[in-house]
Amino acid sequence: MKRRDFLKAGSASAISVPVLLNGLSLNILPKAGLLNYFNLDTDKVLVLIQLQGGNDGLNTVIPLTEYDKLANVRSNIIIPDNQVLKLNDDVGLHPSMTGLKSLWDNARLSLIHSAGYPNQNRSHFRSTDIWTSASDANEFESRGWLGRYFDTQYDNYPDGYPNSENPDPIAITMGYILSETCQGIAANYSLSVTDPFGISPLLQGQGSNTPDEPYGWELEFLRQAIASTNAYGDVIKDAANLGSNMVTYPDGNNLAAQLKNVALLISGGLQTKVYVCSIGGFDTHSAQVVSGDTSTGIHANLLEQLSSAITAFQQDLQAHGLEERVVGMTFSEFGRQIASNFSDGTDHGTAAPMFVFGSCISESIHGSNPEIPEMPENQEGVAMQNDFRNIYGSILQDWFQVPEEEIRSLIFADYVHMDIVKDCNKPLSTTNAENLNFEVQAYPNPFVSEVVLKFTTKKERVQLALYGTLGEKIETIFDRTLSEGSHEIRHNGSKLPPGNYYYRLQVGDQQVTKLVIKQ
Amino acid sequence: MDRRASLATLFGKKNTGSKTGKIDKSNSGFFSPLVVQSGLEAYNGPWEFAQAAHLLRRATFGPKYSEIKDAVALGYQASLDKIFTVSYPTEGPVNPGFIPNRNGNVPINDPNIPAGSPWVYKENGEWKMGEFDPSDPVNFQALNLYRRLSLRAWKMERILNDTTILEKMTLFWHNHFVTADINDPGFEFRYITTLQENALGNFKDLATKMTLDLSMMIYLNGNENTNRAPNENYARELFELFTIGKGPLAGPGDYTYYTEQDVQEAAKVLTGWRIVRFPRSNNGIVTLESSVMTTFRSALHETGDKTFSSRFNGAIISNNGEDEYKDLIDMIFNQDQCARFLARKLYRWFVYYEIDDTIEQNVIEPLAQIIIDNNYEVEPALRTLLGSQHFFDHINTGPMIKNPIDFVSSTLRPFDFEQKAPQDITQRQIYFLNAASYFDDMQMVYFSPPDVAGWKAYYQEPSFYRIWINSSTLVARSKFTNQVVMGVNDRGRPSPYALDILEFVASLDNPMDVNLMLDEFVQILYPRDISQEQKDYLKGVLLPGLPDYEWPLEYGDYLNNPDDPDLRDGVLTKLRALLDVMLGLPEFYLS
Repeated sequence: MKRRDFLKAGSASAISVPVLLNGLSLNILPKAGLLNYFNLDTDKVLVLIQLQGGNDGLNTVIPLTEYDKLANVRSNIIIPDNQVLKLNDDVGLHPSMTGLKSLWDNARLSLIHSAGYPNQNRSHFRSTDIWTSASDANEFESRGWLGRYFDTQYDNYPDGYPNSENPDPIAITMGYILSETCQGIAANYSLSVTDPFGISPLLQGQGSNTPDEPYGWELEFLRQAIASTNAYGDVIKDAANLGSNMVTYPDGNNLAAQLKNVALLISGGLQTKVYVCSIGGFDTHSAQVVSGDTSTGIHANLLEQLSSAITAFQQDLQAHGLEERVVGMTFSEFGRQIASNFSDGTDHGTAAPMFVFGSCISESIHGSNPEIPEMPENQEGVAMQNDFRNIYGSILQDWFQVPEEEIRSLIFADYVHMDIVKDCNKPLSTTNAENLNFEVQAYPNPFVSEVVLKFTTKKERVQLALYGTLGEKIETIFDRTLSEGSHEIRHNGSKLPPGNYYYRLQVGDQQVTKLVIKQ
Repeated sequence: MDRRASLATLFGKKNTGSKTGKIDKSNSGFFSPLVVQSGLEAYNGPWEFAQAAHLLRRATFGPKYSEIKDAVALGYQASLDKIFTVSYPTEGPVNPGFIPNRNGNVPINDPNIPAGSPWVYKENGEWKMGEFDPSDPVNFQALNLYRRLSLRAWKMERILNDTTILEKMTLFWHNHFVTADINDPGFEFRYITTLQENALGNFKDLATKMTLDLSMMIYLNGNENTNRAPNENYARELFELFTIGKGPLAGPGDYTYYTEQDVQEAAKVLTGWRIVRFPRSNNGIVTLESSVMTTFRSALHETGDKTFSSRFNGAIISNNGEDEYKDLIDMIFNQDQCARFLARKLYRWFVYYEIDDTIEQNVIEPLAQIIIDNNYEVEPALRTLLGSQHFFDHINTGPMIKNPIDFVSSTLRPFDFEQKAPQDITQRQIYFLNAASYFDDMQMVYFSPPDVAGWKAYYQEPSFYRIWINSSTLVARSKFTNQVVMGVNDRGRPSPYALDILEFVASLDNPMDVNLMLDEFVQILYPRDISQEQKDYLKGVLLPGLPDYEWPLEYGDYLNNPDDPDLRDGVLTKLRALLDVMLGLPEFYLS
């Protein structure tokens, strides 16, 4: 062979397969046999769906008990009550969510009312940080809530991953921007996947020493990112090839495309624990509805996409017999204000409902309809009832078997368990029916100086706090364990300026808000 | 804990803190914190290739070898002057005559703008635009489409031809005063031109102009903000993202520098502005500033007093009609915090994302002071920053992960990609549009930031620039460099976008000596030198299993017989393999 021919021939493959500098000698189990290794007790999958922009909860889950008051303050956008898809006499879904209604009818959907946190921040960015990190409103936490949990599970990640024990990505973001929920101490645990078939090997560079300064750190980061992409690319492609979709997903629906890939990868045997999907466009300051035809418009289309995507996904899982491994949950950085604006839209608000879907869900409705005041104050949002960190914690506890104590240190010191998911392998518990009718009376209402709160408890911890209309925590009134029986707490509100206030009472695992009006 | 040390913990380094709780902040000192002491004093170190390259890489897009060598020869002061000697366009994008389409080209029938002429241009100091009839939906859509496409091609061409700081600062402001996906090329052109013409000007003036900008009026609902129905969307971002920035939550609705009350009151100040289209002219050419305008409608304006919070010392803005919004801008910019907010953003755009206490004290604070001393003029501060000891500190050379536009430019420009553009206007626009289309998968699309805060890499703690990088965008970057190096398209067929590597090599100082040539490749493409081990590897890609002296023989053979396709292809194939590897290595991702 002439030297020149050798030179020419030497790199014919360079177009499609770049030379690999680091070998990919990974000790990975043969994928085809993997399905046999599944342990249904522990191989649980959580699917998070982020509704970006702040979803208008009051037009998503319509509190029919409050309908007339809502009609007064959001007359230009309210959904006609005869079109609401009723879940029961008190509450219903936006008419475009027929899919979710069918999931509800088949006990595959539950609803969490008024999820939020004290001292709501109305910045998209800060509030998204709070929801993804599960921090206090005034605390900076750079790790995500799942990232902190993964930090306890995967030593030294990402060094030495994947390995024979953990051959698959720990988490996957179905998009280009890694979800902050999975940010851990040393790396983000999620891998970005947009095309499960399209991850091709990349050059990583040699592990020559890098200086201990920003240049070296960024170089290390890049090498690690490339190594992870290479290492996980094949397992993802293998899973995608082994998996399948058994139902048709709606076209032109980006969330459906993401969930379709999630189902593909789960059915292909990927042991990834968490998938994060997202759907944008919920920042509906204007033209949220079509004027005069309020059940149509931007928000209706978004909810339709959300609903039809989740429904197809759940049917796909059911067809694969995988329902009991997967639970899903929606969240958004905030709800929107009670009163609409005159642009047929709504502005940044406070708490909002969340959906949980799957076959292993517990109670169907958590909490009660938000109370809507006759006269909402300027910028008033929906009062927080369920602290979202209790929701996250309960999922970690019941779905990933994280001990309660660890949740207190990882997520929320004041964590209270909620029955959100159940272990489908265990016999159905006869639930806590006696708790469901938890009643709090607050009188007089309106009040001038003092409010009496009356309720009945078992022997359990009772926390009572007062909130304002922007979601701010004004005062912690009471926090101790009470004996079994009926109780009265008197609260002197004589110094409060006139306006709307919300008592939030947490008794055991019940979280209740009560609207009172100061005259 | 020193912020830099906590970052080291977060990313580059092994975790040493508790894994179960929050990051252990008591564990400071485990990593010796790297404190960079240098400040804004004028740079007085050596002026060599490394320093000139650093300045041009950060201040312009993808400098060429010749440009860096010119800067070395010019010296430090003259190089800075040259970067700031900007010239503004007097012509916008051109009507190419055809819209590229999968099935061939569709002719454009623009009634007032002949093919080959710009559809927007400056005449006697005023921007003029060819108008078209919105009531003819078919032609309207076609014209709207060609103008939006041509605008994007034009922007890409300008970026690839700019050797000053202008386009980089224009993109900075696009990332600051964000608007996105405005479906009106005239609005888009005015928006980006306002940013460009004020890019080195006055921050406060620009905030004033942006408040009434047409794209902004649409993007943040200013057009719907009336006394009967205040819409607080723009007012909120004006404080949070555009001027003063958000501080820690200090109380209910109190973000330290402003409060929810201020958002509401500012929204009222801004009521009454509407986008109004004026009657069409006779000759079909309209003056941009008078055909569509943000116009004050006093009947829609809230006339009552607006009372601001204690963060603005309880300032009251009384009715002042169409000048009232300027009172609001005055009130906000009276707070020095605006200068600090801008100083940090400039720092993260040009230097590095991490700002520790020392940098805050030695760089940010004095930079903010320069901004204040110059009444919010940006250029003096920017010149000081880019000419400072801190900017040229060795620690700041190399750690910036290139954003996609920088990444693409630094791939294409050193190879004179922009000079190879076809002369035919339609083909020329396709050429630049194709280059810009690679931004999509890399997640940085001009005229389309992901949300009102801009691209996450410039604000999202703790990852910042690292947000550009993940398994999807890595594949997109690698696919791009692979395609332009190999000269293939998406389907693996030959494409016209191949980098001219032979010409590039011919322009080097030492193309006949493989080691010196490799050194030049490294100098041009990477922010820092690489190890001998890595160079040996690269040499192995170029000359697999062959001694060094084979290179001058092969390359010399080709130079002596440049028309021999066998000789040319032999050399080219090896150079392509080398460049493909070099552009794929993580060192190339850094600036």
